[in-house]
Amino acid sequence: MIRFERLTYTYPGAATPALCDVSLEIAEGEFVLLAGPSGAGKSTLLRCLNGLVPHFSGGTVSGRVAVAGHDPLAEGPPALSRVVGFVFQDPEAQFVVDRVEDEVAFALENRAVPPAEMRARVEEALRWLDLLALRDRPLEQLSGGEKQRVAIAAALALRPRVLALDEPTSQLDPQSAEEVLEALVRLNRELGLTIVLAEHRLERVLPHADRLIAFPTPPATDILSGPPRQVLRRMEQTPPLVTLGKALGWAPLPLTVEEAHRVSCIAYRRSPIAYRRSQVANRQSPIANRQSPIANRQSPIAIRDTRYAIRDMRYAIRDSRLAIRDLRFSYGDAHVLHGVSLEVATGELVVLMGRNGSGKTTLLKCIVGLLRPDGGTVALDGQALAGQSTADICRRVGYLPQEPDDLLFADTVAEELAVTLRNHGLLARPPVAPARLLARLGLSDRAAAYPRDLSVGQRQRVALGAVTVTRPSLLLLDEPTRGMDYGSKRELLRMLREWQAEGTGVLLVTHDVELAAQAADRVALLDGGRVVAQGTPAEVLTAAPGFTPQVAQLFPATGWLTVEDALAGRGSAAR
Amino acid sequence: MDVRVWLLWALTVLVAASSARNPLYGLLLLLAATVVGVACAPANGRRPFLAPLRFAAVAVPFSALFNGLTAHLGEHVLFRLPAWLPLLGGPLTLEGLAYGATSGLALAAIFGGFAALNRVTPVHELVRLAPRAFHEAGVVLSIALTFVPQTARSLTRIRQAQAVRGHRWRGLRDGLPILVPLLVSGLERSMGLAEAMVARGYGSVADRPQPLRLRALLALGLLALLGGWLAWLFWPSGNGIALGAMTLGGGLIGTVLWLAGRAVPRTSYRLRRWTVRDTVGVLGCALTLAVVLLPLPGRGTLVYSPYPRLTPPGFDPLVGLGLLGLALPALWGEAQGDEG
Repeated sequence: MIRFERLTYTYPGAATPALCDVSLEIAEGEFVLLAGPSGAGKSTLLRCLNGLVPHFSGGTVSGRVAVAGHDPLAEGPPALSRVVGFVFQDPEAQFVVDRVEDEVAFALENRAVPPAEMRARVEEALRWLDLLALRDRPLEQLSGGEKQRVAIAAALALRPRVLALDEPTSQLDPQSAEEVLEALVRLNRELGLTIVLAEHRLERVLPHADRLIAFPTPPATDILSGPPRQVLRRMEQTPPLVTLGKALGWAPLPLTVEEAHRVSCIAYRRSPIAYRRSQVANRQSPIANRQSPIANRQSPIAIRDTRYAIRDMRYAIRDSRLAIRDLRFSYGDAHVLHGVSLEVATGELVVLMGRNGSGKTTLLKCIVGLLRPDGGTVALDGQALAGQSTADICRRVGYLPQEPDDLLFADTVAEELAVTLRNHGLLARPPVAPARLLARLGLSDRAAAYPRDLSVGQRQRVALGAVTVTRPSLLLLDEPTRGMDYGSKRELLRMLREWQAEGTGVLLVTHDVELAAQAADRVALLDGGRVVAQGTPAEVLTAAPGFTPQVAQLFPATGWLTVEDALAGRGSAAR
Repeated sequence: MDVRVWLLWALTVLVAASSARNPLYGLLLLLAATVVGVACAPANGRRPFLAPLRFAAVAVPFSALFNGLTAHLGEHVLFRLPAWLPLLGGPLTLEGLAYGATSGLALAAIFGGFAALNRVTPVHELVRLAPRAFHEAGVVLSIALTFVPQTARSLTRIRQAQAVRGHRWRGLRDGLPILVPLLVSGLERSMGLAEAMVARGYGSVADRPQPLRLRALLALGLLALLGGWLAWLFWPSGNGIALGAMTLGGGLIGTVLWLAGRAVPRTSYRLRRWTVRDTVGVLGCALTLAVVLLPLPGRGTLVYSPYPRLTPPGFDPLVGLGLLGLALPALWGEAQGDEG
């Protein structure tokens, strides 16, 4: 179905090629996952499928590409749009009109498809993506997952044979991402559509993939391609279950928790004593490596059916950095926060999770004074913040919004830091030396670079530098790992640990449960504008459906959340 | 109701409100527009449609005061402003205030008509009314309209992002941190959308170039229209010929657009079937236009002037009933699911 032969492509003005001598084959009906760090060439390869590269991007190309008998490099996107449907990372950025049905029909109208056939195709696309009930809805009223499904339906309306998707779930919460993936799996299994999908969070997609194509970190060029288990054995950055499986020598490598359970059973049959020891450890292991500054007086989680709920939360916080009491906020008649109470201690990292629209970002904006709450109090280091301007608050609170690009406008990375210092009148006596901060951010060699030329992870770090150069005592991060690869996440985690060690409190909003499991001292779940659960990561993440890390699903009731926990726990049991 | 009927309805409100200077009829039109807006606009969690009344609450007193202060005609003098005051100096009369209030009411009725149209009809559907020959321009306009709210959201986001870096407005230079990311994000969004449209095959069906004879016909039509208009203005005795030339020009332009549109390979997804509701809507508009434009009994009550002496305005029940034809769409309420 798809064949790349010695494909080399260089973007205009780039010194090194984005794709170098790539030769790959993809069979019809395969579900293919493209993995690898940012900037490795995943998106470029996807764009070669329909000729956006080089017809839209420019640049120089050599080698051959064949897709269902077509040559995208020669024929270009207009001809290939009948064969390859393309879905981008941000669904909103690709919408042309404002209603679900009209958006799906847009491409058909432009192709002058007869109205009767158009109706049938739109109906079909809406049905496949489970959007019939939403057909008349304005796009702006849809959730993130629904919008992405509309984008897929719009691509599907042209009845392509290949669907190429560029990180389609990176901006979605776990449940919405699952909805989108379920739709893709249905299209692949029932319609026989070939799916080529680029993604950073491999654990979501691996169970469905027939083939894994792994891009190495540049400048290396040796792309791995084959059945997922085969490729995963040779990959450095893998999802937790796979990493655990590799560490314990499990075969075959588990891709899902169910498979991991089965492999564990096989391990039991081979060595029952060792397995029993590990099960004992499962029941007894305390989470020894977590030094939470919180004295938890009572177990706060009360699960009701599949919902998570908490009735009483009393935490004794020592040295409270941030104290939010009964915070309420509404947009017009829509109540978004209903009496939120939350604390962050000195040097503590609290992860705030919840579905899209649960009020997480609104809460952060209320803390820094961008939104004025209807009621309740916010105090920083014991001092109420009410009545202070955002600029004054943000001298002591570093707030990193979702879009780092909104912060960046200066000519160089170093200038971005200087702008913040100038805004606060701190340029002459900076609380932290900009050079030292850049070193911590791993940007010393990029100080003179134009910020918008950097990779997603690097831009995120520049933005982080721009809000932390005042040396705040509290850091608020709103989904800082969106679109980040494993390496960038690890770097972020390292930096957060360093800030914590200096006493900075961190409130981190994320959908990434694996990150939460690794980073959090405490986790709070927000749902419908209320904190519905709060406690140690082990308490909350294992009790909230949809927010449980893979390791916790595999070893329930142990308190293990990460690969390190599991290896340490099993190691101590074996001893 | 069909978007074309809604457009006719709004134009009828415009014609009626411009023709009927009688404040009683003006009030009737304002109420009709408000009632239709309330009944037909999808709620979608928004506030009730009271914009015309709010507008009237400001426009009527403002217009009355402005006219009262600047037009010094009428017999009932309320007080006099010193003559040395430029424009304002002179008597302030009850008639001046009444005339201003009547104008404000007509303005509010027109505003109400178009505000209701805006509320009940998505802008994109209005854009779809453009002749097929202008399809590309229609798509561009449609995208531009989508970009306006997106840019407004970007502006808010960027303003907030800069505020958390301690940004304050002190001078023009402080606009840069807002302007640069706004421009760059707008350009990036445009490029992203262009890429998405190309990936979906936009522009893959090439439009055929218009043949020379069509272009010549268009030039001839424009020439006839312009010539007829000039003749109408400067040749009073040749009005008949002028009208004929303008009709011919208009007809030629229409024909060219129709022929050119046929050559544009596009189809439309939303093909509406004409419904009884549409017919009633058109009849309602026709009724209103009839009482406003045709020389029917009672038409004289449409005209009202408070000058030189304020008198109560007349009211003809038949004219009032005719104007209420504009309220007919309210009988069906919110328009939903009537696409065929």
